[in-house]
Amino acid sequence: MSDALTIALGRRYRFAASHRLHTSELSEQENWRVYGKCNNPYGHGHNYVVEILVSGTVDSATGMIVNLADLDGFVEREVIEAFDHKSFNEDVHAFREKVPTTENVCIEIFQRLKRFPLAKLERVRIEETSNNAFEYAGEETEDSEANL
Amino acid sequence: MVYLTRRIEFSASHLYHNPALSAEENKRIFGKCNNPHGHGHNYTLEVTVAGEPDPVTGMVLDLKELKEILEREITQRMDHRFLNYEVAELQGQIPTCENIARVIWNLLEPKITQGRLHKIRLYEMPDLFAECYRNGANAG
Repeated sequence: MSDALTIALGRRYRFAASHRLHTSELSEQENWRVYGKCNNPYGHGHNYVVEILVSGTVDSATGMIVNLADLDGFVEREVIEAFDHKSFNEDVHAFREKVPTTENVCIEIFQRLKRFPLAKLERVRIEETSNNAFEYAGEETEDSEANL
Repeated sequence: MVYLTRRIEFSASHLYHNPALSAEENKRIFGKCNNPHGHGHNYTLEVTVAGEPDPVTGMVLDLKELKEILEREITQRMDHRFLNYEVAELQGQIPTCENIARVIWNLLEPKITQGRLHKIRLYEMPDLFAECYRNGANAG
């Protein structure tokens, strides 16, 4: 009860992208066994929903943690422009080597958005379809690493 | 520990304007939210209470009681109101989602005596919300 109160702002964004789940570390048969229809060589796509949560001090002059225009602009540049109507495997450098599962997309978006200078990124949640969702809040060591 | 969540909705109007700033600054910072006649939203509030179920009743707290607290503290205070002018707790503050959420937290926290208030999430629109929680409680 005596802990400080955290106030956070949440925002949802959307993009559409394609991916193929496949790793060169496994054989063709193993890839098919692990990823099933997501291993289709031509890929497939989703309408992704990204929900982000940022915390910080509420500015008494504006009532805001961060102006939405600044937050939206940053997310638009760092995530939406990079991912919307793209193929993760072909168009996003981070996924040349890494399998673009939504777990990995969640981590990639967290890494991109944690650089936002005006508020602290608390977590990223992605809905890949309306029936599945993934969340990533960084690692506990990230803060201490940043202080080194 | 069990977490239970109750959702309510209310509709209210507001506007963003800081009298300490010039008209131009207000327009620049608040954009269309600075319209002097205000505008409105359908707010959705999710209230999460954490606690251990009572061994006799099996409940963390009686949902009926939570429903009454929310009706008394939030709905009657904010539903179909102009937040800037009709909610005393918001006087002198810009009624942003962040500030309304903080007011709601401060109203509810002392009223919830069975279990404890864990988190609130206030949606101003489906794609915009604010959360309040005590530090370290945001895992849920």
